[in-house]
Amino acid sequence: MTGGQTESHSLRGPIDRPALLATRDLFNDNEPLATATLDDFLNPRALKVEYDDGLQSAERSRIDVQWTTRNDYKYHYTDSGGVNLRWGRHPHNGDYIQVPGPEHYHPPPDASSDPSTVEESCIKQQPETLVTRAVIKLWRAAYHADSLAPLNLGRNPP
Amino acid sequence: MTGPAEPEPFEDINQAVREDWVAGTTPYERVREVVSRTYAPTGADTLADHAHTSPKTARKHLNTLADDGFVTTETGANGATLYRRSAESLVVEQAADILSEVSTEKLRDRIAEMRDQIGEFQQEYGVESPEELAVDQTNALLDESTRTGEKPDDETIREWKTTRRNLAFANAALSIANAEKFVEAGSQTDNETVSSS
Repeated sequence: MTGGQTESHSLRGPIDRPALLATRDLFNDNEPLATATLDDFLNPRALKVEYDDGLQSAERSRIDVQWTTRNDYKYHYTDSGGVNLRWGRHPHNGDYIQVPGPEHYHPPPDASSDPSTVEESCIKQQPETLVTRAVIKLWRAAYHADSLAPLNLGRNPP
Repeated sequence: MTGPAEPEPFEDINQAVREDWVAGTTPYERVREVVSRTYAPTGADTLADHAHTSPKTARKHLNTLADDGFVTTETGANGATLYRRSAESLVVEQAADILSEVSTEKLRDRIAEMRDQIGEFQQEYGVESPEELAVDQTNALLDESTRTGEKPDDETIREWKTTRRNLAFANAALSIANAEKFVEAGSQTDNETVSSS
């Protein structure tokens, strides 16, 4: 296969408006610092989740969510300090050498797509309600720890 | 740092959110939630697994949801019943969501705009549907020497499919709004006829 990396790494299927609506309601109901809205109410391509605060020294942050009809997804975090990272699920043809399944994590500070630095994601479950709840909880664990490490650690020690 | 509470310590994020979800919902609510966005025919065991309930409980609720028209069923290759969200029920749900926020006038404008966008895709790539585009793209890869035309990327294909799907929801919303107008007007006329005779 000589296909370009970006093509073989695409999300499968169209963006699913119903899934974005469910995700919007979860953020708005469970995260007091977040305000989630569809980027376009009738023809949404992403859910924009604006946070009134950021991780570490950042003053503001945002998570952009894409979810397709085939349950592929991206949750991309970006903040006013220029930090980027992303949880994702889509096929990668084994290019991410540390990642056995489709779920993976593009680490900060630049959400690197370098195949050798992409990590296995700590989020393993499928229904979008659980993926979204996990992202909300991981963000909050990182927020209170004042560190980016909890975002893909998968546990929050006392 | 101010703001809401720090999350309780947890050993495994997957288990932690699963326990939160299970504690705050009934098995019926979880089965309904999971199947509400299951678009490919899926067995009760898999759905039970995702909804964190037993296959027996999942099957009971799935059959109720099938009776209500929320899911449709079919028989799989091995004779097992497969379930997925009813397209009709999904379309009606999305149409209702749209009509709760968007006026019919605005809806008409946006439908025209989305149609134009799809027309532009069709013109630019010379095919009627994104499915043909994918086939065309494979042919182009197999025969690189002769194809020099526009080569759309997966993002374009997804954009096209997404707009087509959202246009379908918007069209359904407009049709329902129009139908309601005439059904209501019709029933009023009927009443007048009855009362005046």
